[in-house]
Amino acid sequence: MSIRHSLLALLSEGPKYGFQLRQEFEVSTGDVWPLNVGQVYTTLDRLERDGLAESDDLDTDERQRNFRITRAGEEELSRWLRTPPDLTQPPRDELVIKVLVAFRLPEVDVFEVIQVHRRYLVQLMQQWTRLKEDESHFDLAFALAVDAELFRLDSVVRWLDAADGRLRRFHLEAAEDRTVAPPRIRRRIGAHR
Amino acid sequence: MSMLELRNVSKVYGEGATEVDALSDIDLAVERGSLVAIMGPSGSGKSTLLTIAGSLELPTTGDVMINGTNVVGMSRYDKARLRRRTIGYVFQDFNLLAGLTAVENVSLPLELDGVPLKRARVQGMSALDALGLAHRAGRFPDELSGGERQRVAIARAVVGERSLLLADEPSGALDSVNGEAVMRMILAACHGGVAALVVTHDAKLASWADRVVFLRDGRAVDETLPPQPPEELLSQQATNP
Amino acid sequence: MTQFPDPIEQRPPDGGMPARRAVTRWAWRLLRREWRQQLLVLALIALAVAVTTVGVGVSANTPLSPYVGFGSAHDLATFSGNSASTTAKIASWRQRYGAVDVIDNETITVPGTVNSFDLRAQNPLGPFGGSLLLLTSGRYPAKASEVAVTEGVASDFNLKVGSSWTILGVTRRVVGTVENPKNLLDDFALVVPGQVAAPTEVVALFDAPRGTPLRTLGSNVLTPELVAQSNVLNPETISIALVTMVMLLIALVAIAGFTVIAQRRLRSIGMLGALGATDEHIKLVIRANGVFVGLVGAVLGFILGFAAWLAYRPILETSAHHVVGALELPWIVIVVAVVLAVLASSFASSRPARAMTRISAVSALSGRPAPPRQLRRSAIPGIVLVVVAFFLLGAAGASGGKGVGMGEVVLGFITLTISVVLLSPFLLTALDRLSRHASLAIRMAMRDLARYRARSGSALGAISIGVLIAMVVIIASAARFGNVLDYAGPNVSSTQLIIYTPNGPYGPRGPANDAPGGGTSKATTASMARSANSIADALGAHKIIELETTSATLQHAAPGRAYSGPLYVATPSLLRAFGIPGSAVEPTAEILSMRPGFSRITKMQIVYGNYFAAGGPSSGSWPCRAGSCLADPSVQEVSGLPSGTSAPNTVITEYALRRLGLKPITSGWLVETAKPLSAAQLTGARGAAAAAGMSIETKSSIPTSATIIDWATIVGTVLALGILAMTIGLIRSETAGDLRILTAAGASSRTRRNLTAATATALAFVGAAVGTSAAYVAMIGFSRTSALDGISSLASVPVMNLVMILVAMPLAAGIVGWLAARREPKGLSGQPLT
Repeated sequence: MSIRHSLLALLSEGPKYGFQLRQEFEVSTGDVWPLNVGQVYTTLDRLERDGLAESDDLDTDERQRNFRITRAGEEELSRWLRTPPDLTQPPRDELVIKVLVAFRLPEVDVFEVIQVHRRYLVQLMQQWTRLKEDESHFDLAFALAVDAELFRLDSVVRWLDAADGRLRRFHLEAAEDRTVAPPRIRRRIGAHR
Repeated sequence: MSMLELRNVSKVYGEGATEVDALSDIDLAVERGSLVAIMGPSGSGKSTLLTIAGSLELPTTGDVMINGTNVVGMSRYDKARLRRRTIGYVFQDFNLLAGLTAVENVSLPLELDGVPLKRARVQGMSALDALGLAHRAGRFPDELSGGERQRVAIARAVVGERSLLLADEPSGALDSVNGEAVMRMILAACHGGVAALVVTHDAKLASWADRVVFLRDGRAVDETLPPQPPEELLSQQATNP
Repeated sequence: MTQFPDPIEQRPPDGGMPARRAVTRWAWRLLRREWRQQLLVLALIALAVAVTTVGVGVSANTPLSPYVGFGSAHDLATFSGNSASTTAKIASWRQRYGAVDVIDNETITVPGTVNSFDLRAQNPLGPFGGSLLLLTSGRYPAKASEVAVTEGVASDFNLKVGSSWTILGVTRRVVGTVENPKNLLDDFALVVPGQVAAPTEVVALFDAPRGTPLRTLGSNVLTPELVAQSNVLNPETISIALVTMVMLLIALVAIAGFTVIAQRRLRSIGMLGALGATDEHIKLVIRANGVFVGLVGAVLGFILGFAAWLAYRPILETSAHHVVGALELPWIVIVVAVVLAVLASSFASSRPARAMTRISAVSALSGRPAPPRQLRRSAIPGIVLVVVAFFLLGAAGASGGKGVGMGEVVLGFITLTISVVLLSPFLLTALDRLSRHASLAIRMAMRDLARYRARSGSALGAISIGVLIAMVVIIASAARFGNVLDYAGPNVSSTQLIIYTPNGPYGPRGPANDAPGGGTSKATTASMARSANSIADALGAHKIIELETTSATLQHAAPGRAYSGPLYVATPSLLRAFGIPGSAVEPTAEILSMRPGFSRITKMQIVYGNYFAAGGPSSGSWPCRAGSCLADPSVQEVSGLPSGTSAPNTVITEYALRRLGLKPITSGWLVETAKPLSAAQLTGARGAAAAAGMSIETKSSIPTSATIIDWATIVGTVLALGILAMTIGLIRSETAGDLRILTAAGASSRTRRNLTAATATALAFVGAAVGTSAAYVAMIGFSRTSALDGISSLASVPVMNLVMILVAMPLAAGIVGWLAARREPKGLSGQPLT
């Protein structure tokens, strides 16, 4: 993930000790994505190996080592900030698959499936909103991170609403004896690999 | 006793062949100090539920209890008084009366109820102040931004010991920052003892509520469980990277 | 939630004053913001009040007010000359009623001219006559040897302050110039009381207590009430009646206007209801708006009118010949007009106010007005009222004269007006049904008219009433002026003047004045002829015709109208003067007349000689006894005779005179000039005639029938078109949404234009038809029972004017509507209100 780039960003502020880096990283992501301690030091080693960071005393423990960003590291950080991630390939979404499956199985009420998930998502959003409101006035970073999660969940809810609508219309038309098979045109998305 | 209670409420429009079941068998209770959201697609009957809850429309069957009194069967006169004293409305847009300043808009329900001008103004100013709009009290609605207008509408909806707030897409016309501010204010009112019922199609806004009721084709089909304590949520995150 | 003590129990149950104030405040603010939308009604009211202000000011001051001579007195007595009985009478009044202001007038002709003036003895400090004198330079005379003169006298005799002047043998010094501010044409020389030895007229001004019967005072005493009675149709009452009608029309247009305003505010009113306003509060919003509009309009109108009045006043003074004070307006009428304006506006807004409360809050909030209520209103009340009006007017007609009949006439017209307003919407529904097979534009137009009855119904009512008024005037005038028996119309033309000898028909001692008609000596007649000729010469006349009468007149021996007008003798010189050759007259014709249709009247008879001895003419039995009456004289219509009612329009031939053994006597002279006679000339002629013991008759202000009818047609047409223009503007702005949908669906601009034209034509035509029908209902109802003019009098139909109103006016409306619809109407309402 972009742990290495977050560490590089922290290093670009100035030389820091290992344990400092770990602490600051936790704080900056606002406890939203709790981190395995070991991951930080492993990543720091990798950064050194790739020449993006350097330190003096290679013998001591990573925790006490003083790290600095290299020229290459700064360029890498800059490049990473400006390059949008590759989003052409949609991730395999479990929920989408569930809905598609529910739709095909005649004994399953797809709308009930949708509602179960909808309720679950909204409940989750309720909790996140509650959290954000309790803490937002002293943690901007936390608020930003929670917002991201809320928007993500919201987008899923919206997709569920849209799917709901489409499926309803399809059922209505089917009920009117319109035997139109659903279009089976498959598109390959992001074909380059 | 709930502040608002809908018992077995149904609403049918039209007759014979053109009959439409806008609402069927709705049971809903909103306690003081709680914020309940109604979510559903358009045509699900959300707005009708709100207008019935607010005594603007009569249900075809069922009872509407506001503060223990059944609204069905009240005279027009008494219902008007209920709206002056107990119920506050916030609509998506066009809440305020053009030609009246912000503070005049806020104090209007009080004046309509017979509160003398000076006292009504004082109460209006304090309501605006609580929402941070005291400095805009003398402006007319067309001089206020969308967010400010909605805030004035909320001030009007809670002025004078009003205890039931009904909002129909209150953030609908606003951007997300302003929209959030509106919900925050409604929540603050609830913390002050108001019972609030908010109709929305936006999940992010519904998530501000203590309870979300899902409406579909005029029926309440589902509702969210009471939220867990926040610590549990965070610890769950730790186990699922 | 609140920290302020506000015991809910203390609040008034319906909101009390604070609620009403809040709602009214909002209504006022809305008016201030949206005044442009209400400009139409505002302008109408302002215009009505402004026109009223100027109009009543002008009409009240224009004719020399009959109250002029009164000064500040309540009673005015006129004596012809100073006699012992006069002095005694005046003394008795002094004793009984206190001060009496005595004015002696001796009329003197300026030698060598027709100008005359009064030598007037009056106390300038008199208790009542003070307002009739104004000093313009110098001072009032204080001694017997002093005199003050008016400008006219000064220029006639070449006088100025300080000059010495000898008149009637007495030399006096001119000490000042004066004028009569109430009548600037009054020329007189003011001397101290007692200086007029032989007055031709003595005027006494005093104040008898109100209610003193005139019998005790005498027959030569006038009071303002007497003057008012003989002057029922005075400017004030006419103005008030007119203002009432105008305000009614404005109210009808305003109903449409306020309905539109209320529907535009639908959303806000819904919000107000959601906030807990009661029905009364909601009604108050609309009604307060109505009252404010009325007030603002009336105040604006008054300011405009007053400014116009001030500007016009100098012109008025010149044409009216008397000083007109800046504040000399009939204030009562103006106040009544302002009050009526507010009332009309408030009344007009009460219907939309009630309609607003019937719309549910929910539909109001969504901005969708309820579809217009198709009230199954019955036509029965309207029909009943028409019948009631018919019989009321019939009762008025049966009662004949004024007084008793007046009340029924007023009531009948009010009933008729209400029935017109009630019935006209039904015709719209009928039109809608009739147009089922017409083109799309016409169908849509008719459907909209029928659906939105609040707008179109009131507009139609207003147009109908406007046409009704005009048509009543037209039909009544045509009927009245069409009557050839009781001949009505202008008495003489503006270039004519008749000088009467004392025993002429209208002379001071003639039969018309209840004095025995006696002969005068040849010498007197000759000297009168000379005076008449000199008057004619001084006026520059090119024709002077001697008028002879005989003791005979015409009579219609049947109920109904009686013969009116003098019966002069058809002397050869008279016939020549009017270009009628002797050969054109049948030798056995006994009566010649220019009155069209006169020869067809049956049961005419000439009554003469002994007939009068039995106590004066009265309608006798048929056939009358020979020896004093000639039944069925032979009548020939000769169009060359003059048409004035006092001119020789109907004459008796010398053949008849010979047959009946009658003798003619000179009774006057008809003088004709080339140019119309000026007021100054007339005054001069009057004075000169008076000095010679004669009287004159000049053109009175009665207009010709054609003038009245044409004016009524024009006013009716303009009124109807004006109302149409205003309401079409309103209707179009409301159907803008429909039009947009139409256009989007591909309808061409022609459809749009046809729509507007159809709406305009339909409203205009139906309004004209209803108004005309109602007018005929009124006139038939009245004349059916009238003893004077039966239904046959309605046979003289003014066809051209009817065509103008029924056909030309709707066509014009349609054409203007078609042209005006070229531009797409700006959607003022924003949302289509279907």
